[in-house]
Amino acid sequence: MIMSPETRPAPKQRLVVIGNGMVGARFVEEMLARGASERYDIVMFGDEPHGNYNRILLSGILAGTHQAGDTFINTIAWYAQNDIRLHAGVRVTSIDRLAKVVRGEQHIFEPYDVLVVATGSSAFVPPMKGLKGSGAEMKDGLFAFRSLDDCERILAYVPKARTAAVIGGGLLGLEAARGLLERGLEVHVVHLCSHLMEMQLDPAAGAVLRDTLLGMGVHVHLETLTREVTGDTRVEGLAFADGGTLACEMVVISAGIRPNVSLALESGLTVERGIVVNDEMRCVNDADVYAVGECAQHRGQLYGLVAPLWEQARALADHLSGRSPGATYTGSRVSTKLKVMGVDLAVMGDREPLHATDEVVVYSEPARGIYKKLIVRSGRLAGAIVLGDAAGAPMLLQAFDRSSALPDNRAELLFQLSATEHKPSVADLPDSAQICNCNGVSKGALIAAVEAGHCTLKSACEATRAGTGCGACKEEVRAVVELAAGGALREDPSVHYYVAGVPLDKAQLVRAIREQRLLSVSAVFEALAGGSEDPSSKAGLASLLRTLWGKDYDDERDARFINDRVHANVQKDGTFSVIPRIFGGVTSAAELRRIADVADRYDVRMVKITGGQRIDLLGVEKEKLPDMWRDLGMPSGHAYAKSFRTCKTCIGTEFCRYGVGDSTSLGIQIERRYQGVETPHKIKLATAGCPRNCSEATTKDLGAVAIEGGKWELYVGGAAGTRVRKGDILCVVSTHEEVLLYMGRFIQYYREHARYLERTFGFVERLGIERLRQLLVDDSEGICDHLDAEMQRATDAYVDPWTEAFEPVHPSQFVNVLEPVGARGVGEFMVPA
Amino acid sequence: MAISAAVETDTATHCPYCALQCGMRLGVAGSHVTVSGDPAFPVNKGALCIKGWTSAETLNHPSRLTTPLIRNADGELRPATWADALDCIANGLRSTQATYGADAVGVFGGGSLTNEKAYLLGKFARVALGTRNIDYNGRFCMSSAAAAGIRAFGVDRGLPFPLDDIARADVILLVGSNPSETMPPLMQYFNEHRAAGGVLIVVDPRRSLTAQAASLHLRLTPGSDAALANGLFHLLLRAGRVDHEFINERTEGFEQVKGIAATYWPERTEKITGIPESQLLQAARLLGDAKRAMVLTARGSEQQSQGVNNTLAYINLALALGKRGEPFAAFGTITGQGNGQGGREHGQKADQLPGYRRIDDPAARAHVAAVWGIRPDQIPGAGRSAYELLDTMGTADGVRALVLVGSNPVVSAPNATHVEQRFRALDFLVVADFFLSETAQLAHVVLPSAQWAEEEGTMTNLEGRVILRRRALEAPGDVRSDLEIISAMAEGLGKGAHFQYAHASEVFDELCRATAGGVADYSGMSWEKIEAQGGIFWPCPSADHPGTPRLFEHRFATPSGRARFHAIQHQAPAEVPDAEYPLYLTTGRVLAHYQSGTQTRRVQKLTLMSPEPFAEMNPAAAKRAGIADGGLIALVTRRGRAIARARVTRDIREDTVFVPFHWGDAGSINRLTNPALDPTSRMPEFKVCAVRLESHPEPRHA
Repeated sequence: MIMSPETRPAPKQRLVVIGNGMVGARFVEEMLARGASERYDIVMFGDEPHGNYNRILLSGILAGTHQAGDTFINTIAWYAQNDIRLHAGVRVTSIDRLAKVVRGEQHIFEPYDVLVVATGSSAFVPPMKGLKGSGAEMKDGLFAFRSLDDCERILAYVPKARTAAVIGGGLLGLEAARGLLERGLEVHVVHLCSHLMEMQLDPAAGAVLRDTLLGMGVHVHLETLTREVTGDTRVEGLAFADGGTLACEMVVISAGIRPNVSLALESGLTVERGIVVNDEMRCVNDADVYAVGECAQHRGQLYGLVAPLWEQARALADHLSGRSPGATYTGSRVSTKLKVMGVDLAVMGDREPLHATDEVVVYSEPARGIYKKLIVRSGRLAGAIVLGDAAGAPMLLQAFDRSSALPDNRAELLFQLSATEHKPSVADLPDSAQICNCNGVSKGALIAAVEAGHCTLKSACEATRAGTGCGACKEEVRAVVELAAGGALREDPSVHYYVAGVPLDKAQLVRAIREQRLLSVSAVFEALAGGSEDPSSKAGLASLLRTLWGKDYDDERDARFINDRVHANVQKDGTFSVIPRIFGGVTSAAELRRIADVADRYDVRMVKITGGQRIDLLGVEKEKLPDMWRDLGMPSGHAYAKSFRTCKTCIGTEFCRYGVGDSTSLGIQIERRYQGVETPHKIKLATAGCPRNCSEATTKDLGAVAIEGGKWELYVGGAAGTRVRKGDILCVVSTHEEVLLYMGRFIQYYREHARYLERTFGFVERLGIERLRQLLVDDSEGICDHLDAEMQRATDAYVDPWTEAFEPVHPSQFVNVLEPVGARGVGEFMVPA
Repeated sequence: MAISAAVETDTATHCPYCALQCGMRLGVAGSHVTVSGDPAFPVNKGALCIKGWTSAETLNHPSRLTTPLIRNADGELRPATWADALDCIANGLRSTQATYGADAVGVFGGGSLTNEKAYLLGKFARVALGTRNIDYNGRFCMSSAAAAGIRAFGVDRGLPFPLDDIARADVILLVGSNPSETMPPLMQYFNEHRAAGGVLIVVDPRRSLTAQAASLHLRLTPGSDAALANGLFHLLLRAGRVDHEFINERTEGFEQVKGIAATYWPERTEKITGIPESQLLQAARLLGDAKRAMVLTARGSEQQSQGVNNTLAYINLALALGKRGEPFAAFGTITGQGNGQGGREHGQKADQLPGYRRIDDPAARAHVAAVWGIRPDQIPGAGRSAYELLDTMGTADGVRALVLVGSNPVVSAPNATHVEQRFRALDFLVVADFFLSETAQLAHVVLPSAQWAEEEGTMTNLEGRVILRRRALEAPGDVRSDLEIISAMAEGLGKGAHFQYAHASEVFDELCRATAGGVADYSGMSWEKIEAQGGIFWPCPSADHPGTPRLFEHRFATPSGRARFHAIQHQAPAEVPDAEYPLYLTTGRVLAHYQSGTQTRRVQKLTLMSPEPFAEMNPAAAKRAGIADGGLIALVTRRGRAIARARVTRDIREDTVFVPFHWGDAGSINRLTNPALDPTSRMPEFKVCAVRLESHPEPRHA
């Protein structure tokens, strides 16, 4: 019959599917995934005028956690794309099994070779008076809760109601109640049975759940039969069989579902509670008709949860597609995890023990809404209820689904034994404990290294290689070494070295350089590092020497980064950026015109206003740099250097309505004075004309903020990069001259005492603002005169590096050789951390 | 080029092991070699792991092969001259092809070979042997990620961005990867990421070292990756946290995925993945709220029969998060093997020609044929994928002779007992290696190869950065480089004219020409330029092109320029636990060893650190099987049995056992793994199968 495709290239068969719900559509998807469109022309009927959607999420729509659009699985277009003819919104009126034709509304006839009935179920409305209003429709304010349209109607009515009753305290009823509660209504749940969710819960669990719901403000009426919905054309209340009444403006009936079998009954298929099918999901009295989903009765069982229904769909698709013609469905072990009014619930298998040998394990903690019950049969989980505790549920569900053997200690199933144990302190660890994972270094190995004389962190690391991989263990390594050395741990002197290649801290280094008058990087290596040149130390030394010697510094250009060699910032593609200095961000039309002309002339790829109130000309090839500088006729903005960068300003008093200090002219003065001054790392400054701080002066390396009374607050050590830090106030002064003085003093002290590449925020934190105030404001050590004089020398020595355009330092300075790109192209990255 | 042993030299080169290709310096004084990390190389910034620090120990190792070996009439491998060995090979290959046809000889390569070797091996198969049957162990490594990348983005480069971007992300979802052990120097980037306030979410059935460092660890059920990705997608949609602007402007296929995502509501996702709903919500919230989110996958999700689908599902997630990775750095896959990236680009794959070209593309065939100096129709068609090639060896349908370079499939292939039998069924097996690996022990002719520090060549690291390895010292004894070996074998087959190279850089120059216009275009590279730039990211199509650190900044490599969403349904793995085999088995690596352990098992310090295979299991699983911590146990699957030492820990799911795969013989866990293949990538399912634990009596000492 239909199952012999191999013998002949049969013409396509006609497959008609009645039902476009979660199971009917899923079955068709499974068919398509198995290539069944080669074999069948597929026609579908769907009651509702949509594609198919996920009914599970309806309660989410009611509660507002999902949008209707989130629930669509397949759009109408999907059916067409897959050559499926969908009659959306067309109800099937009859099946003519003799003629093998399905008849629908609107005179639609679809003949079939194979028919799949997936009509699902519909809301069960218990018999009661007063359902209808004047016409055949339900009374206003009375709803079923089953479809997307129901959902939309309920939501539309919510604003008209204050109190709502939900008839039915099963799963769906409580979901509806949750949604209405979320929407701000007073909610009553009216339930016929003696406990909630009697299909899933035992009485004890039901009682715990009821208490939890009461705590949320839901009114629960148990063992209550509704006799009548009162009100003429619209809902006014409920009347109960025991004589009680409840006033409410809306009623949602969610008292369970009934399989949709009337069509099957009328067409003569065998129907008991559902359409009776065998293990092939084939109807027992018609070999060409199949049924799947909530309408199907398999081995006496009807299923209402999606997981087993999708298993049916998969088995039927295996069978009908020819992928696996012998495929059968043999029933499902039913388990589910859900939320009941936000309360986690997992239920699986049997609710109560069936055999005398079944073990029952129960844990109940009503105060926290927790109830757990396990039915254990032959060492495996036969059933469980887990209410109010989500953590252990996944493991139990998987143990149930796989029927896996359980631990002897059943408590392990009920209570999550923490997988994360607290890390003991290193002192408590055994010697075998691994400290450095990358290099497999144990605590014992580190201790042995310390005992062998490696008493500093650095030498212990070098001896064992601990911490030389990812470096994440450094703190633990330090702790072990400290522990092992007892009081004998010597601080590793090299952490204080200014640069790695010269074994002196900054003060010692500065003294030695001065005493021995070392004017070049190579002279420093020769005199202080035994002649061995460490490439990674060169740039730091060059910076220091320039700071110390100014004009007398013997500039060996190989000690510089590419940025400093060509006075421009190398970009990731190997081109450079040119940023001329614009003092205080104040420019003129003529200057802008000149910049524009240069940009045109040199095919600048991007012209960008920078964050420092300047203009960046990007994408310049190295050879063009000198000519551009010449044509610009503006000094270098030092945007590439470890030096003073810019002073950002706000409008100040000249135009701004709020300004209390002339921040613009102060900023220009600052920038003119300190331009090009080399520093251990770049410094960026700002001046703000009032505490509104438009120029963000409090998060700059140095900032001056005007306050009432014509005073200036001087901030140091601010940052707004990878770290954000508000600067500390060094002092409050009255004049521009004082601002310049203290700024210069701070910069000079930073130049002399910061480690190479230490930003001001780290420097200020390391020394502490109190100490800095003592040194720089109170002059506690009498160094201020020296600092001021040195700063004067530094500013006197300033030469605009772009004048090298007129006189290259060497012939190939601006000749293009391949420079590193990518990460290596950025100056900072070239320095080993 | 000879370097006198007396002269002290210091050479900047790269580590022989994983895909980070850490920069290292080798100092040579006599026969003594010292290793140090190279702080100038931007990827590792001077750091090395213990494998790198100890890598020089393999160079002067006593069990190093120093002369060719030929199997004699008594079945023993005996030292031989190169002339005899090459004659023997020429005869063996010629007679096999004469009797059974050209395709009866196969070639099997490796993901640790340099680009030059991978290229030349592919050329050797097509030009010297004329066989369609060539594939390599990278099929067991990167093929699922590669197929997914090509489908979604139009091109496969493991990381389409530099590693630096890791530190710039706010939230990273790291799937099926344990870099703390497998590539420790990579953790610098994750440490930096964390120091900057970044959040790391790790997806792994085990609480690995990496997972221990994470902010959130999702302990998923093995084989449930697509469900997890779809479930997170559902939650992002629900929370309105997808980037519609990016989706509209730069992607296609979103609507269909949205429909599928509707069916992965949290309770369902929780049931499939075993991850509590609260953690799913937390992960989705972290990803959804991140300014920059990044998804990284690795072998955990890829080495499955659904590996391509799993990867596509994670890509969906990354695309939905959209420009949060701007410039597009939202998805990457972490390549494992040393040249796993370059190895998959230059024609070692059955269906590929150099430059990541398809072998069934007439234009590609014409271009490559012109470079090789042959007619396009002389290039054979696509051959069998790695496992299928091994599976059919010695059968009427399969290859009868095999040339194997840089791989040890007897340990590293799935269903290894069967694979070993297939090797034994070959008429003729040639193996080039530096040690007598488990596979080399089965060979008819074994050729001694030079090691990484003894030769030169380029590698393409996990970022697509092409780097240059430099020679630090001379190879010992009668050892030759693989390039010389391949060329000499070609000579023996009468095709020597196509294999005339004075230096490895000439092979690279030819490779560059062959890749011109291809996807992985190297044509603007040269060794000098690589050295000068400190590495070049492909594509680099012209001499003045600086290379391409970020691939997808402006468009994706699909015809439309848009990235593609794919509608993926979760499907169960090929084998799931049942009453007879009640646990999941998953496999992976440990810090001390690399791949099949041919190198690392010969380094004393590494062997002391990890002397034998172990089986990591939860106390609940151990108790049920009656197993004590530290005892020897047998692991049994439908395919085989292996012995390992029990390591009982709560750091793994109760239903899962983890065993590393670095050992051969009785400790070979790949005797147990499932060769169920991904329908697209032909990747075997290394990461999931069903296993039973049995206690194993301790060996008695006489």
